[in-house]
Amino acid sequence: MISLETHLPIILIATPILMASIMVLLRKYPGIQKVLSVSVSFILAILSVFLLLQVWSGGIQAYEVGEWGKYGIILVADLLSSGMVVLTSFVSFLALVYSLDYIEEKSLNASYYPLFSLLVAGLNGSFLTGDIFNLFVFFEILLLSSCGLVIANEKGGVTKSSDKMEATFKYLVLNMVSSIVMLIAVASLYATTGTLNMADISVKLSAMSAAGTLPWHVFAIALMFVVVFGNKAAIFPLHYWLPDVHPTAPSPISAMLSGVLIKVGAYGMLRVFFLIFIDTLYIFKPVIIYLALATIVVGAISAVAQTDVKRLLAYSSVSQIGYVFLGIGFGSVYGLTAALVYLVNHAIAKSMLFLISGGIIHHAGTRDMRKMGGMVDSAPFMSLMFLTGAMSIAGLPPMGGFIAKLQLFDAGISEQYYFAIAIALIFAVFTLFYMFRAMLLMFWGEKRDVSEYGEYSSHGNSLMIALPIFVLALLIVVFGLYAEPLVSLANATANQILDPQAYIDAVMTRVVR
Amino acid sequence: MNNTLLSLTIAILFGIGTFLILRRDIVRLIIGLGVLSHAVNLLIVSTGVFDGTKVPIITDDGGHGAAEVTGTIFTDSLSQGILAPVVEAGHQVQYVDPLVQALVLTAIVISLATTAFILILAYRIYEEYGTTDIRELRRLWG
Repeated sequence: MISLETHLPIILIATPILMASIMVLLRKYPGIQKVLSVSVSFILAILSVFLLLQVWSGGIQAYEVGEWGKYGIILVADLLSSGMVVLTSFVSFLALVYSLDYIEEKSLNASYYPLFSLLVAGLNGSFLTGDIFNLFVFFEILLLSSCGLVIANEKGGVTKSSDKMEATFKYLVLNMVSSIVMLIAVASLYATTGTLNMADISVKLSAMSAAGTLPWHVFAIALMFVVVFGNKAAIFPLHYWLPDVHPTAPSPISAMLSGVLIKVGAYGMLRVFFLIFIDTLYIFKPVIIYLALATIVVGAISAVAQTDVKRLLAYSSVSQIGYVFLGIGFGSVYGLTAALVYLVNHAIAKSMLFLISGGIIHHAGTRDMRKMGGMVDSAPFMSLMFLTGAMSIAGLPPMGGFIAKLQLFDAGISEQYYFAIAIALIFAVFTLFYMFRAMLLMFWGEKRDVSEYGEYSSHGNSLMIALPIFVLALLIVVFGLYAEPLVSLANATANQILDPQAYIDAVMTRVVR
Repeated sequence: MNNTLLSLTIAILFGIGTFLILRRDIVRLIIGLGVLSHAVNLLIVSTGVFDGTKVPIITDDGGHGAAEVTGTIFTDSLSQGILAPVVEAGHQVQYVDPLVQALVLTAIVISLATTAFILILAYRIYEEYGTTDIRELRRLWG
């Protein structure tokens, strides 16, 4: 009898991979596929909460795959990784429910379910693994499955398939180059320390640093990791693929990409820099802060001028991930707490906004905001939900985004980064402007010219589409009004990140059997 | 001497790959990505060569890389009844880290999958746009 609690980390990775193959076999039976995938996704969400509770009460868990000790692959669930797994599982469950009604039948049955399962497996795997080469493998799983999902067709066919090809090509080429850079970095790290286990690398690098023999190329390796994770998270010089890829993907996939996938970059930064490259952080903290500021500025300015609703949301994602990296760059307990709270709130609000944009596109038959208007009469539910999301992204009380922005600016001021906070504040006003400009263009004002653009379609707001949006909106309001549990969880996580000794002990006390 | 040649080979492959991915033609770009990934594979393998007797293999005596030095080359000869390659006494052996070879296998398989995907994608782009010139892919601008 296998006891479930001790095997949670591997179950969270293996089940989606197993489901991917089952879904391929079941492609002739769409009814079974639908029930099975949704129920398994729900069970995974429940299990991920169990894992988080277990880590919260029992400390960091290290799971040896194959019982090779620190020489083999180890899955490590600390508060950061199990928290990210909970976020992934919930957003992916809601996106899956949404896509049942949104994705075209043929695409849904043949390729969508398996690739979606693989995407979840890749996300869970890259959060839970404690081995740096394994992280690379899961990044590749993420990359390939998300490429396949961007190409999937939605009902109505608003996005041309040539656009999807072009965006995917851009995404794939850039990410292949970045994975080559990551391989170089991993190989050099292995040649320097002789191990791939992240805790072991950390021990060896700090021993070298204590002896004063830290080789100079460790700084170069750290810079390569900045490039790799910056590319995943769309940080300033590497952000230009995101506004093409996120809008052309079908809306539930945009929600996954913007909500969770770009956070893998932030996670990687937190894990690799605060565990392995602690001794190089004094150089890289300012680098991260300046890159984050540039990201905020470029994203916000570009978002102001957009007329395509999903492109606006994508540029907004670029700008908002800059705020997360700003918190990471501060590098204090308070800064990291703020970054984590910001990350969770942005994940929820932005996935909700992308899901809503899918409903709006169904309703209006176009992505151009100039061809919409007055939709508050014909789609009152969507407009209320969009207002909630827009308020959260813009940082207005009582939504979750307000708490996140408040904490981030407070952290910056208490760390005396006045210049950075000034810029961040100015562009927070930009956020307010572009979100409400979109709101006014789409929902308020005159109804659009029916003779030119046609009547709004009446379908599109089925229960399957409305329910995930409503749940996410509820979460935004809850995190705004009752933020205490999230903040204390983020605080505990930040403490754990800044004191990696617990992580190292949990991994290194294992012996080879 | 050997190491210099190996480093030079890797460097030249990186150069060729970088040159090719800056070309305008999609097919050349894909070939460039292939060359780059093989350059990385060579780089990984090149980190696995060791001099000396400390071997990065866990033996059942529990020691960390303390396998006894056999110091011989591998031979197998049917006439003497030796089927598998075994080591003769009196020869020095240079060990190679087995882990990097596992890493390279994984990296090769992954680059196979991504290359297959990007080739299909390039073909579909050729169908949609009627060209393989990367500058023509600008329908998403603005």
